[in-house]
Amino acid sequence: MAIGDMSNAPTTAQASLTIDGRTVEAGQGTTVLEAALAVGIDIPRLCHHPDLSAWGGCRLCLVEVEGQATPAPSCGLAVREGMVVTTQSERLTALRREVLDFLLSDHPLRCVVCERAGRCELQRYAYELGLEETSHDKEVARDLYQDDNAFFIRDHQYCISCTKCVRVCDEVVGATAIEMARRGFGTYVATPFDAPLAETSCTFCGNCLQVCPTAALMPVGRIGKGREWDLVRTRTVCPYCGTGCGLEVATRNGEIVSVSGYADAPANGEFLCTKGRFGLGFATHPQRLRKPMVRRDLANRLGLTPDQPPAGLGRSPLVRAPGLAESHVEVEWDVALDIVAGSLAEIVEGSGPDAVAGIGSALAANEDNYAIQKLMRGVIGTNNIDLCARL
Amino acid sequence: MTASERRGAAGAPQPPLQGEEAVRLAAQHYSEVLAGVPRRYLVCAGTGCVSNGSLQVLEALQVALAGTEHAGTNGRQEGWPKVVSITGCHGFCAKGPLVRVEPGGLLCSEVRPEAVPEMVRLIEAGEAPQEALTYHDPITGDAYSHEHEIPFYAHQQRITLQNCGVVDPEDIRTYFARGGYAGLTRALFQMSPDEVVGEVSASRLRGRGGAGFSTGEKWGLTRRQPGERKFIICNGDEGDPGAFMDRSIMEGDPHAVLEGMVIAGYAVGASEGYVYVRHEYPLAVNRLRRAIEEANLWGLLGPSVVGTPFSFQIHVREGAGAFVSGEETALIRSIQGERAVPFMRPPYPSEKGLWGCPTCINNVETLATVPLVIARGAEWYAGLGTQNSGGTKVFALTGAIRNTGLVEVPLGTSLRHVVERIGGGAREGRTIKAVQVGGPSGGCLPESLLDTPVDYEDLGRTGAIMGSGGMVVADNATCMVDLARYFLSFTQDESCGKCVPCRVGTRKMLVILTRITEGQARPEDLDRLEQIANVVCTASLCGLGRTAPNPILTTLRYFRDEYQAHIHDRRCPAGTCAALAGKE
Amino acid sequence: MAAAPSPGRLRKIAYMGDPLAAPPPSELMGVLDRYRGQHDVLVTVLQQIQSVHGYLPKRSVQYAARELGVPLARLYGVATFYNQFRFTPPGRHAIQVCRGTACHVAGSSTLVAGISAALGVAQDETTPDGMFSLQTVACVGCCSLAPVMVVNHDVHGSLTAERVGEILDRYAGSAEAAPAGEGKV
Repeated sequence: MAIGDMSNAPTTAQASLTIDGRTVEAGQGTTVLEAALAVGIDIPRLCHHPDLSAWGGCRLCLVEVEGQATPAPSCGLAVREGMVVTTQSERLTALRREVLDFLLSDHPLRCVVCERAGRCELQRYAYELGLEETSHDKEVARDLYQDDNAFFIRDHQYCISCTKCVRVCDEVVGATAIEMARRGFGTYVATPFDAPLAETSCTFCGNCLQVCPTAALMPVGRIGKGREWDLVRTRTVCPYCGTGCGLEVATRNGEIVSVSGYADAPANGEFLCTKGRFGLGFATHPQRLRKPMVRRDLANRLGLTPDQPPAGLGRSPLVRAPGLAESHVEVEWDVALDIVAGSLAEIVEGSGPDAVAGIGSALAANEDNYAIQKLMRGVIGTNNIDLCARL
Repeated sequence: MTASERRGAAGAPQPPLQGEEAVRLAAQHYSEVLAGVPRRYLVCAGTGCVSNGSLQVLEALQVALAGTEHAGTNGRQEGWPKVVSITGCHGFCAKGPLVRVEPGGLLCSEVRPEAVPEMVRLIEAGEAPQEALTYHDPITGDAYSHEHEIPFYAHQQRITLQNCGVVDPEDIRTYFARGGYAGLTRALFQMSPDEVVGEVSASRLRGRGGAGFSTGEKWGLTRRQPGERKFIICNGDEGDPGAFMDRSIMEGDPHAVLEGMVIAGYAVGASEGYVYVRHEYPLAVNRLRRAIEEANLWGLLGPSVVGTPFSFQIHVREGAGAFVSGEETALIRSIQGERAVPFMRPPYPSEKGLWGCPTCINNVETLATVPLVIARGAEWYAGLGTQNSGGTKVFALTGAIRNTGLVEVPLGTSLRHVVERIGGGAREGRTIKAVQVGGPSGGCLPESLLDTPVDYEDLGRTGAIMGSGGMVVADNATCMVDLARYFLSFTQDESCGKCVPCRVGTRKMLVILTRITEGQARPEDLDRLEQIANVVCTASLCGLGRTAPNPILTTLRYFRDEYQAHIHDRRCPAGTCAALAGKE
Repeated sequence: MAAAPSPGRLRKIAYMGDPLAAPPPSELMGVLDRYRGQHDVLVTVLQQIQSVHGYLPKRSVQYAARELGVPLARLYGVATFYNQFRFTPPGRHAIQVCRGTACHVAGSSTLVAGISAALGVAQDETTPDGMFSLQTVACVGCCSLAPVMVVNHDVHGSLTAERVGEILDRYAGSAEAAPAGEGKV
């Protein structure tokens, strides 16, 4: 087909509808919720996630459609030409309050000590709709508390059965380690036969934590480390592999408290793997290398330190192995680079460029890996270049 | 070889039947053979009568008749027709086990195996059976020896149930004898799919599962959907407690259901169908499986239906015990091997159903009616009902009345007719207080509203719904608060837990109702109950949640005084609530 | 969140090898082979497994998930959703009391309470000697015989407290061959 034909091809059909009195254009097949969010009209919702299939269980996103007697959930309502939608009305507010009232009766209101406070979506809507307590008899259906793994805790009493964790595990991650079990008031998120997560197909990616609207799923490292408003959130790139996932690192007093993804991160959207989410502990680890180090015998030879390496250190099993500080000397970057450059030049001169090989790292950024292959090919003059992530 | 040649060669039609004429000849042949038998004993083998021991009666009959002159079956081709055979539910379950003698329709009720030899001797001698086996009207004491004279039957009009209790559900030939599969051949050979849809629309047949959507319109929607692969689903997940219409049809006339499905398949362009039956109905499952085998053998199902290029397969799936799987989107999930949770509509199953293909889901009773609509014409069927809805409706009449069982009346008949004329009114010394229509999704109507016509709109106006057809009569010994609590505990238990209003709301309503029946009520409870009920009605996702508060709302509307007696006087007027007993 | 971290409760998990290393038992294989590659039979497979064992043994469900290529969590979710499935062996005589409307109006709840007290078990429990298990079930459709109970697929209708006692005594007396009820469903 010639490019010119494209103009004659049917364009994506657009529908024009009215939401809260505003005329909104939306592509056919989008939902009313998506159309509203696109123009900045916020509709309360708890079980909706843009990357997951529509569920329609929380009933907060109900909207009124002209000509329909009962409100419809906007998350599952496809736009139609000429549709007139109201997202805020006295009736809807009353309904939303009632629905939230139901949820609050099934959820411990321990917001004063809850780590999730300030970022809890249930709390947010309770605040927005002005509900301080439930008007019903309190009855929390679930009391399961599972801390069967090193990464996160599942405290079922806080669960509101929005099933976002179940859907993300099945639809995005593909692990399907959890599913809703039982039904009705007693329904809960379960592993098969309530087994510990390690015995299931769980990969501990923690994307369930990412989408959980309440404190039902919390990272182990997050507990007791401050409230949401104590944390500083910094966006960065995951140091683990070349994908370059966006991370939002929450720190307090310079210590990493938790890591989460953020929506619209270019490489990964909102979702992370287990390394990025739970593997950043090394950043503040006391043994982390922060400056270049040179072996003590070499440093002594180069006159960088007067101290000889302790003789016999590490030779006998009766003597403790040498620590980094005993076997190495910390030096400045310039010194270290000079040593490396000098040694490389010596090898190339003595044995030819093919005596040198460079190995990139999956932990390094693409740009850094590009630089090292450039160094090997252009400066050293060898094709001996490899990367652990090439597999 | 044409069908008539084949018939001439073997004496009887041979499977598979090919062509319209073959089916007509089979009907003619088998009805002639059956008419030629001087006496046939039809033993009801519906679940009710089987539970009452009708299979032992069947054995006793076979033994007793072994010595008589027309014992048998010998001398007739393939041991057929049988002198003693089983049938599906006769409907009059309260008087079971039932044995009917054809031709004539002599009815023996409450037959025990011990009474059989004497009964056979008398009947074979041309006399009336024992007095104890003859039905006596409980009010007048009049004896009625024949089925059609008994008031319970005389005031009904049996259309969909016309074969229940007549054909042997395990023998397709008896179904042929009743003109079976004539509707299918008429559709296949004389009508285009569009004409079939038009005919069903013109009959004003509406979904008998409860919601009352026009069947023809539903078929038309599915037909117009693009797509190669479409499905027909027969919804036999009859979960309403107190309703057993669909079970009786599947047990008593399985071929009517299959025929309806094939016609539906032809009309909407589907080549595969599922019958979804509750596992609590093992007899229905077995009879359907058997009927499918027979229909395949006779060429009425399979790659070439009655010799035409149209192909249709039917699978049976057993439900595993979840009321909510009767909801159409949940039913689809259940067949797909998932948790039976309902999904948001639109998209409707007619657009995106089973495996994402256009799917037409009809109730058992609806599909069993379709062959008649096609065979006898839309005009005839529409003429039976009201302006808005054509035909008849089957009800399972139970509770505190004299005659319980399966009844069928034209739409528009008054509830009073059903309860008093057919049901025989309240039991000795009691008065009828209410009729609960539509099961846990329906409502309780007071005695004063008994003149309401049985129709979708009229019942809807009272706050009840037509529902699938459960009709439970409550008398003055039934506590309406307790009845509402019972229905709510059922729906609460059966809620799938997907949407918040149903998951939590039904629980909260149950807590309040339990409090009321236990004498722990608070003064504000009634208003709160009404408020929650309205929220659950409006905000729930599926029909189960939306209709769950109906029993509460209608009892609050018509029997508020009973609630108030429980709350303010700590007294149960009916004397049912144990915690309040002795305070009457 | 109020709960403090409790590292002491973290369980160490050792890899004990594949618990399903051995091939499934032949009776299970028979069921699974029949339905392999079909997508619309998950519930049916569970029903078949239950009809073999009387309940759903954990290992059988695990095997079924592996052999049919279905996530185990999904199978577990399905199995816990429906009333029919149970994970514990039933008693020798399974008592199922109908909780349909007609039965309720005819006093089935008193019946359940009576049986429960007589056997000393709550609903969905089995007596310690494994003789009886008690369940309530959705309407079995014998409304005209209300109240109704089903013992081992035999329906007993028009029950009274005394009749229930007699019937259960008969079952208890015949551990092996169950006495015939009035009829089978």
